[in-house]
Amino acid sequence: MTSRTAYFFLLPALILYSVFVVLPILQVVGYSFFDWDNGIIGQFVGLNNYSRLGSDGVFWAALGHNAIWVALTLAFPLMAGLLLSAILAERNSSTIRWMAAIYFIPRTIPLVVAGIIWGWIYNPLFGLLNFVLDSVGLGSLAGAWLAESNTALLSLNVVGAWTFFGFCVVIYLAAIQSIDPSLYEAAEIDGAKWWRKFRDITVPLLKNSTLFLGLYAAIEAMRFFDLIWVTTQGGPGYATEVLTTHVYKTFFLVGDFGYAAVLSVVLLAIVLSISSISFWILRSK
Amino acid sequence: MIKLTKPLQTLILGIFVIYALTPVYLVILAAMRSEADLFSGPLTMPWPPNWQNFSRVWGDSGFSVFFMNSMKISASVTILVVLCAPPAGYAFAKMKFRGREPMFALFLAGLVVPAPSVIVALYGNLQTLGMIDSHIGVILPQAALLLPFSIFLMRTVMQDVPDELIEASTMDGATPFETFIRVVLPVVRPGIMSLILIVFLFSWQEYLLPLVVLQTETLKPITVGAASLQGRYGVDYGGIAAAGLIAFAPLVVLFLAMQRSFVRGLSAGAVK
Amino acid sequence: MNKFAIRAITIVSTVTAVQAETVVTQWDQFSQSGISAAGPAMDELILTCAPAIDGASILRTIAPSIGIRDSYRLAVSAGKTPDLAYTWPAASVLAGYARVGALAPLDGYYEQYGWDHINDFYRGRNSYEGSLYGVPMEQDLMGVYYNKTLFAEHGISLPTTYAEFQAAAETFKSAGIVPVSFGNRGRWPATNTFSLILGLTAGKAAEEAVLFGDTPWTNDAFKLAAENFQAWANDGYFPRGFNGVGYDEANALFLSGNAAMTITGTWVLQDMIRGATDIDLGVFMLPPMVDGIEAGTMWGEGSQWQLSASASSETQDAAAAYLNCLLGDEAKQIWVQKANTVVIGTTPEELSEWGADPVVQEFFTAGLSTTENNFYDLHTTLPESVTQVLYPELQLLIGGETTADEFLNKMQTSWELAIANGERWRP
Repeated sequence: MTSRTAYFFLLPALILYSVFVVLPILQVVGYSFFDWDNGIIGQFVGLNNYSRLGSDGVFWAALGHNAIWVALTLAFPLMAGLLLSAILAERNSSTIRWMAAIYFIPRTIPLVVAGIIWGWIYNPLFGLLNFVLDSVGLGSLAGAWLAESNTALLSLNVVGAWTFFGFCVVIYLAAIQSIDPSLYEAAEIDGAKWWRKFRDITVPLLKNSTLFLGLYAAIEAMRFFDLIWVTTQGGPGYATEVLTTHVYKTFFLVGDFGYAAVLSVVLLAIVLSISSISFWILRSK
Repeated sequence: MIKLTKPLQTLILGIFVIYALTPVYLVILAAMRSEADLFSGPLTMPWPPNWQNFSRVWGDSGFSVFFMNSMKISASVTILVVLCAPPAGYAFAKMKFRGREPMFALFLAGLVVPAPSVIVALYGNLQTLGMIDSHIGVILPQAALLLPFSIFLMRTVMQDVPDELIEASTMDGATPFETFIRVVLPVVRPGIMSLILIVFLFSWQEYLLPLVVLQTETLKPITVGAASLQGRYGVDYGGIAAAGLIAFAPLVVLFLAMQRSFVRGLSAGAVK
Repeated sequence: MNKFAIRAITIVSTVTAVQAETVVTQWDQFSQSGISAAGPAMDELILTCAPAIDGASILRTIAPSIGIRDSYRLAVSAGKTPDLAYTWPAASVLAGYARVGALAPLDGYYEQYGWDHINDFYRGRNSYEGSLYGVPMEQDLMGVYYNKTLFAEHGISLPTTYAEFQAAAETFKSAGIVPVSFGNRGRWPATNTFSLILGLTAGKAAEEAVLFGDTPWTNDAFKLAAENFQAWANDGYFPRGFNGVGYDEANALFLSGNAAMTITGTWVLQDMIRGATDIDLGVFMLPPMVDGIEAGTMWGEGSQWQLSASASSETQDAAAAYLNCLLGDEAKQIWVQKANTVVIGTTPEELSEWGADPVVQEFFTAGLSTTENNFYDLHTTLPESVTQVLYPELQLLIGGETTADEFLNKMQTSWELAIANGERWRP
């Protein structure tokens, strides 16, 4: 089997990918070194555009929000997926399949539609969330979820988690099902209950899946756009601004292609770094 | 030490079912109501259910056309990916060639591309190629953007194919291509089924790319149509809800129907 | 081949070339269905105007309401724009496109067709360095939509002074009714409301001193306006959590009878009229908020027609003839009757004559009586980079998270940056 054969197998994918993914990325990197006026390219300015990053308060706020989003995603949906799959693994296979499917349904809903629905749920006056809180006597907790700077990002993250935890359940389930049952049997003979088995056997053996999901979650968290754009567009104030919304506004609304390209390059660099490091860790296992 | 008893476990499962399905229920509810008023209390389903919103939205403003467009685009993207990704995955998994690792890394790097960053450059390129305002201008980039994940999945799945099988086929005189088609593909069929499902799913949900590339109303897919609902229907929540349901119900049905192979195939990809 | 044949072929091909149809591509946002559907009216007008353009045809594409501003930007950067686009905003953004040569100058057509009904105010907003680049068509005004029944039930008569308005709001508040429905999740509604408050607190002259002169944003009149807006929020005039409520949700709140008023513009007249099935809808103008300020309202053109510089001269001529038809008397009537859209130059008398909805008449009669003092719509007047600061800063201001001074400082900083970058528009 020669290299040439291999390249034939790769060719269709390579062409498609180069033209529609690699090329635009290279172009955007190129854009960042020029001055632009309303979408028309101007002078070459080297690293000039990059110097604006330091004083761009919105950029730093957005970066912080991306970091928070990553952390929240790793904490909640990932852990929930782990727990749920461990619980499910001991049920009968029909239950497993149906539950996994139900948990996955939110992932099938276009984010655009999810944004509209959850906007209704979060409506401060008549939304479901406040309605439920009121009816169980927790009315004092009812808030203006998408309107307040300290709850907006979290509220959107709950929606993101809603679309992601099912995916985690599915991945973890499969991994659990490949764990040797005799390990559990041995533990039971020693008198271990559910939680001990979970903690001492399941969790450590799922490390690879956790790394994979964690990396996937982190990349998705950095790339996240549709949901935020359809609901708050970065508001209130700058509370839900993330790198992608900042890029979009700079490209389309302000029309400053040079700086938008800079932001994109930074975003790409960050995510590539995270991915490379994680992959290096993953592969050395 | 937490005493996670069986009933407590079931409770946890139940809570997450509520979490997953309540918003879906709300949409169904809003779509079935005849009065388009979100602000009245009851959360019970009206009986008999009111289908007016659906028929109005389906026929009205070509929502049925949007649906067909989504089908066409997603099906085309899926076919294209299934033609490109398995061979590439196989090459990465089973063939030794120069530049294999860097090439794979190059593909993986594409996982991180955020849409708003490249959309402007992509638009310019598509314009030059004359693909703006056509389905092909959406299908090709979408397929390309899904290649990193797909190739990664395919490679992982193919790695499990026993080498002996391949060697045996080669020794029988089959060309690499014949081996691939006749020996390898049948073995990885569940993985390919999952790939189909995932790619279709992701493609169906794509929002920014078709929004930007497609201008003619009759070309738009359902995500773009659904997004402009709020502008088009304003305060018509029944209409928005019905349209939203049309936008995702087929996916749910497809998924539920295929969930067996989906779970199996997807997990095969990620576990290693 | 003999000479005769050659000549015949030449003649035939020349004639054929001349008869080759001119196609004018048009992008607009008039949606085809749903509540605010002026799309059918646009289609009808294309048919009506066919004779005026002498054989050319219009190829129409509808952009989704989130799309046309962004789509146009992409089109300019990719070097291929539609021949005609009905897009927004004017002023700085229009000037930006004119500056890079994407738009065709229209002075010749203005003169040829005598579009004198487009007054200096509108012309100014559609010019760059003395030349005209846009043709505004609609008039947009702001006012207060109110629920006549709720007003009657609580014994409130139409406010003629600001004090009366405040009293009315307080009455509704005590009765548990939202005084002014408002949903600013989309971030732009606050800029409209602020534009109105600014004009009624600081006045047109003060606005122009900042927008076109050297006065900084951090002046007393502007500060008072910012404080007034913040006071409305603090005093509970708006629904709870307004920064997280959508614009359409807020309108729905008003139309369902749960709010007494909502302050927005004529661009949702269609929605309001069709949605007012449960309430009795009326409109009044917000009174000046400070002594000495003249009555007036915010007005603008909503969108404007732009012609691509890369269109051939035949296409440009055809497009101009088409526009002339769209602004003509016959078209004006169709716009009013079929789309609740009021073309610039339409008089209140004509509105009444054509049987326009009473609310439409009420709105325009009131708004057009103060044209001398009508003031600017901030977010279609400011440079885009400043608008993108205004949006979040306003949310913070009325959300109570910043003070008026901090708000104005932020605005002044971004304003100075925009001026330094040559982004400012002056009529």
